[in-house]
Amino acid sequence: MFLFSGLASGKQLALVADKDNTTANVKAADLASILNGKTKSWSDGKPVKLILRDPSSRDMELVFRRVLNMSPEQVQAFIQVHPGLIIVAGSDDAVLRFVSATRGAIGIIDLYSLTKDVNVVKIDGKLPFDAGYLLKGN
Amino acid sequence: MTSQTRSALLIFAVVLGLLSTGAAATPPGNKPANKPAVFPLTTKSPEARRLVEQALVLYIDHVAQPEAIARLRDAVKADPQFAMAHELLAQISLGSAEQLAEQQKAFATRQHASPAERTIIQWYQDAAQHKMIPAITSMNDVVNQYPHDKMVVWMASWWLMTQTQYPRALAIYSQSEITDSPGLMNNMAYNYAALRQYDQAVAFMAKYAAALPGDPNPEDSYAEILRLAGRFDQSIEHYRAALAIDPKFYSSQFGLADTYSLMGKQAQAREQYKIAFEKFPLEEMQQVLWKTREATTYVRDGDFKSADRAFQAIADAAHARHISQTEADTYRQMAIYQPDGKRASQLLDNAQAALRDHENVTKMALQQESAQILRARVELAVRAGDKKAADAHLALLDQMAQVASDRLIESAFHGAAAALFYSEGNYDRAIEHLEEDSDNPLSVELLADAYQKSGDLENARRTAESLTERNDPTVEQALVVPSFRKCYADPTCGSNFKNATFHQ
Repeated sequence: MFLFSGLASGKQLALVADKDNTTANVKAADLASILNGKTKSWSDGKPVKLILRDPSSRDMELVFRRVLNMSPEQVQAFIQVHPGLIIVAGSDDAVLRFVSATRGAIGIIDLYSLTKDVNVVKIDGKLPFDAGYLLKGN
Repeated sequence: MTSQTRSALLIFAVVLGLLSTGAAATPPGNKPANKPAVFPLTTKSPEARRLVEQALVLYIDHVAQPEAIARLRDAVKADPQFAMAHELLAQISLGSAEQLAEQQKAFATRQHASPAERTIIQWYQDAAQHKMIPAITSMNDVVNQYPHDKMVVWMASWWLMTQTQYPRALAIYSQSEITDSPGLMNNMAYNYAALRQYDQAVAFMAKYAAALPGDPNPEDSYAEILRLAGRFDQSIEHYRAALAIDPKFYSSQFGLADTYSLMGKQAQAREQYKIAFEKFPLEEMQQVLWKTREATTYVRDGDFKSADRAFQAIADAAHARHISQTEADTYRQMAIYQPDGKRASQLLDNAQAALRDHENVTKMALQQESAQILRARVELAVRAGDKKAADAHLALLDQMAQVASDRLIESAFHGAAAALFYSEGNYDRAIEHLEEDSDNPLSVELLADAYQKSGDLENARRTAESLTERNDPTVEQALVVPSFRKCYADPTCGSNFKNATFHQ
């Protein structure tokens, strides 16, 4: 017995930064600049270190589609042309460990993996669960 | 952050997989080689502790929910300041008033609990108050401290399932390395089923059945998984097998009825519901659930007068028992199948009036139900061609979605907005919103049609197929899926999605 609802899974991703990072909000355009490598440092001069899960994973496909309007094929081509731009982690735990221990690091994780060791950064003034939040999908 | 004046090119090493192997510090509890950390239960009463430990074994290892609830009720009597016992009772109770009261007691008595217990209580308290980010953080804090504790793994994976976060629930179970808990095996099977990974779901069910030989519950769960997969005849066989083991296993009797209803055999379904209700006394939430499914058999038959009688009886019973959200939701469900718009509007008024009493309902549930009612009002106004009313209700729902930060409320907004855009022939805008409301068959039907009309045939086909595979016994499913499935399979039915309209 379970009384199962069987609802579809809703996905929310969180942009996370280390606890010392004072950036509480980024614009979607700024996030795009980080993802495509145009933005390389924070306002205090610290280098941006971007860490993501495998770019071909469904979560990261969502990120690239929502932020850069790229298809999975375009993402693969982009990664080929920009080796080393993104640090690739094998799990959300690995992203969290890296971000929490690295000044200037920024990562994207499944919101439901979030821990207190990192800060959640708003995108266009919105947190996950806010209406119109950018990094969500079904 | 700025995006100008950049120095040297950023060149970071691609560290494929390296970071996932645990090179960094491991949380204190995450040491499977050592004795796993055991979650502390704080009580001055050895009797209360014993009762809670029994309840956990009954619930997690034997899936015996009513028996576990009885032990927890005894435990909080033995030690009214046992905060964690209150929390566990709040989570597994089958009565909304008890759930609410026990959550309040858990929060009120938390100063008597350990820090880890307080974190769990705070997690559920935050979740009940829509503070989802701190709730998630607290959950992961406890999971990281006690990744191999059966109770913690159960609480986290169960809560994640209620949040429809199935992959995360599976990950926590996998990391726990717990392989001997039938209750967790059962939950994981349902997680896989929710992801439509039926092979894995069935594999977990087989393990679950082997772990509890001669127990009816694995047969019952197996039957439900098969029903979700649309394998109705096999589902019936397994429900009957559960009843052969234990004729008093009430959920299998109701499961037979649910399955017959989904098969389109409403008379047989009602016969099975009648037998079940006569034979088995039920807790409040189970009573409401199956009475609603019984009422839905009339909707499936298109016999709306009989459906009205059955749903009205549920609403009256809910009113008498002061469970406002159930009463409101029953009226809302009645409204959505009404052919007459005026009658539907009256029923939505009744729903709103019931919510004004707000008895035995959390703030979260109250807001979610209000959003569902507003959504129904928008759809009703669209159906009546009353754009002014549709816009007004949608604006209210939009305001609610902006402040509530709640997925269900946001979905209600998207479903309502999509209905309006679809009715105006603005399929691109409709699609944007419909994609955010993929739980609701009414929206999925419109989505398939909107894709079709906008020329996205591949997404139209995929969406249509996913709709035909839905086998949840809800009013929305009853209104949409059987007719859609029939038309989709019939080449003479014309355009595959030509029936995607508002139900009237």
